[in-house]
Amino acid sequence: MCANHTEITPNPSHFEDSEEASQAPAHRDIAWNDYKDLIKGMRFFDPHIHMVSRTTDDYQAMNQAGIVALIEPAFWVGQPRTGLSTFKDYYSSLVGWERFRSSQFGIKHYCTMGLNSREANNEPLAEQVMEILPLYIYKEGVVGVGEIGFDDQTPAEEKYYRLQLELAKEAKLPVQIHTPHRDKKKGTERSMAIALEHGIDPSWVIVDHNNEETVKSVLDQGFWAAFTIYPFTKMGNERMVKVVEQYGPERIMINSAADWGISDPLAIPKTAALMKMRGIPDETIRLVTYQNAIDAFGKSGQIDVADFESGYAVDQSEKFHGNSILRGGQQPAPVKDFLVIN
Amino acid sequence: MSDIIKQKIWEIIASNTSVTEAEWLQQKGVSMPGVAMPGVATPGVATPIELMTAFVAAPRFLSKKIIHTSDGEKAALNFEIPGFSVDGWSLVRLARVWLLTQLDPSDKEEYVKNIETLFDTAEMNELVALYSALPLLSYPDQWLFRATDAVRSNMGFVFDAIALHNPYPEKYFSELAWNQLVLKTIFNDKPIHLIEGLENRSNEKLAMTLSDFAHERWAAGRGVPAQVWRLTGKYLNQTLLADMQHLFDSEKEEDRKAAALACSEAPLPAAQYLLAKYTDLEKSVKSGALTWADLEH
Ligand SMILES: [Zn+2]
Repeated sequence: MCANHTEITPNPSHFEDSEEASQAPAHRDIAWNDYKDLIKGMRFFDPHIHMVSRTTDDYQAMNQAGIVALIEPAFWVGQPRTGLSTFKDYYSSLVGWERFRSSQFGIKHYCTMGLNSREANNEPLAEQVMEILPLYIYKEGVVGVGEIGFDDQTPAEEKYYRLQLELAKEAKLPVQIHTPHRDKKKGTERSMAIALEHGIDPSWVIVDHNNEETVKSVLDQGFWAAFTIYPFTKMGNERMVKVVEQYGPERIMINSAADWGISDPLAIPKTAALMKMRGIPDETIRLVTYQNAIDAFGKSGQIDVADFESGYAVDQSEKFHGNSILRGGQQPAPVKDFLVIN
Repeated sequence: MSDIIKQKIWEIIASNTSVTEAEWLQQKGVSMPGVAMPGVATPGVATPIELMTAFVAAPRFLSKKIIHTSDGEKAALNFEIPGFSVDGWSLVRLARVWLLTQLDPSDKEEYVKNIETLFDTAEMNELVALYSALPLLSYPDQWLFRATDAVRSNMGFVFDAIALHNPYPEKYFSELAWNQLVLKTIFNDKPIHLIEGLENRSNEKLAMTLSDFAHERWAAGRGVPAQVWRLTGKYLNQTLLADMQHLFDSEKEEDRKAAALACSEAPLPAAQYLLAKYTDLEKSVKSGALTWADLEH
């Protein structure tokens, strides 16, 4: 599907435009049969994925590929919101139904809560969201304030970014920063400078959607550098391998940021396989695809690895608000150790 | 709401928390619980948003354990609000309820808005705490919609929080809502004797609805828990009498016992004649050897 990806115009989501369109080789698509043996026994943690826009098939495939836990950052659902209620419902779904759905496929679900940069520009609504946000960031399983930062780099974006940094500081929660697609370098520097200005320890900040241009400064200043393997646009898995070769595993993590755009919820296991093919040591792969995310977001005190490190027990006969994920006479899968790759 | 109840709850919290936990709560709640003058705004008293945030954040600062209460503490709570009990609660649930009691009710609009916001944004454990707190909240009529909504809820823990050991429904539910609650409890296979005010709010309509419900179950080859017939004794009529005969004919001993108990409570002479046919059962009921408590599971 990636053969001639430079000719395809992607659906804009996290990655609005691609001014630096083709940098071959960027991304390599890998099929399950090509890589399943390479990642046998590995387990993965996807620290950035929007499951609310993904299907049951994705959950099943992720589980099968060894993804045992994930973080779903609050983000833009694509459609402009008409009021506070839809924010409440969305935030509630992140700690409620979506978390339950994930559990039914053997994947531990965490989330970060925040008002995203794009929606910060609707100031009357943003004001209302800020009023209820404290009631969400303290909920169980919320591992950070995110994803926040800049999109168009407007004054309103800056205002709500700063307010949320203060909220994170007060709540002692890590911060997950979404860096802008346009003028990324400047936006990333500005995001970091503001975080430091608010007295936030950079080891509590995960700067997301990095590329070759931004990574050095992010690491040099002591922040976590997250990379999004998002086919067709900014970071391909081939390039990711090179980044890891150059910078090593310290404070680097990989995510899929899969959402309602053309994206890949299996980006992490596939990139792990590619790293393996390129001779990157197992321990390095483990750090960038699993452990670093746990260390960074674990500062929230909300991650207990015992919940997922030896697989995640699934009982599909469980219900949430009386609703099951099973439809029309489907029988629950037998309860078993769901980590297929042992 | 009386300040005594806040104080009593605080005492239970204090005996179930570590120093750090108690300090966190004091700092989030009022400056000095029990010392602060009731109704007098003292410097350092928490703002609504601080209290609401602490309500949400409680599991981050308090241990996940079940509290213990002494008989004296139980009696004291029950004396203040009959039927109110915190038995089997987690520390987090109790602390959340206590934090809610610290919300200043003097501005009704503001108070109601804050509680509604908590309901709107709540996850399941928070809902449990909110429904558990209903008997302690000001403006009780304001929460009727929420309370009857919880009865419709299929969330097990939320349903339990409103239906079992909660004196709010007995006091404020309409007859229709009350009957729904009792039937839903039976339907969910939960023990009705844990509903506060079961005796006080018994009514003929409920007894007849129960008969219909039992017929549906029997038609499907299923039974009804024997103790639910305690809701029918006073209202036995020809229809229910036929149900009693059905129970006396049952293979289950508990069904026969339930029929005997219900008949013995009935003013209807025909019920006494029916009971007299089952000498042994009649004897144990009349002697007090058999009571509804024997059927409570
Ligand atoms: Zn995202």
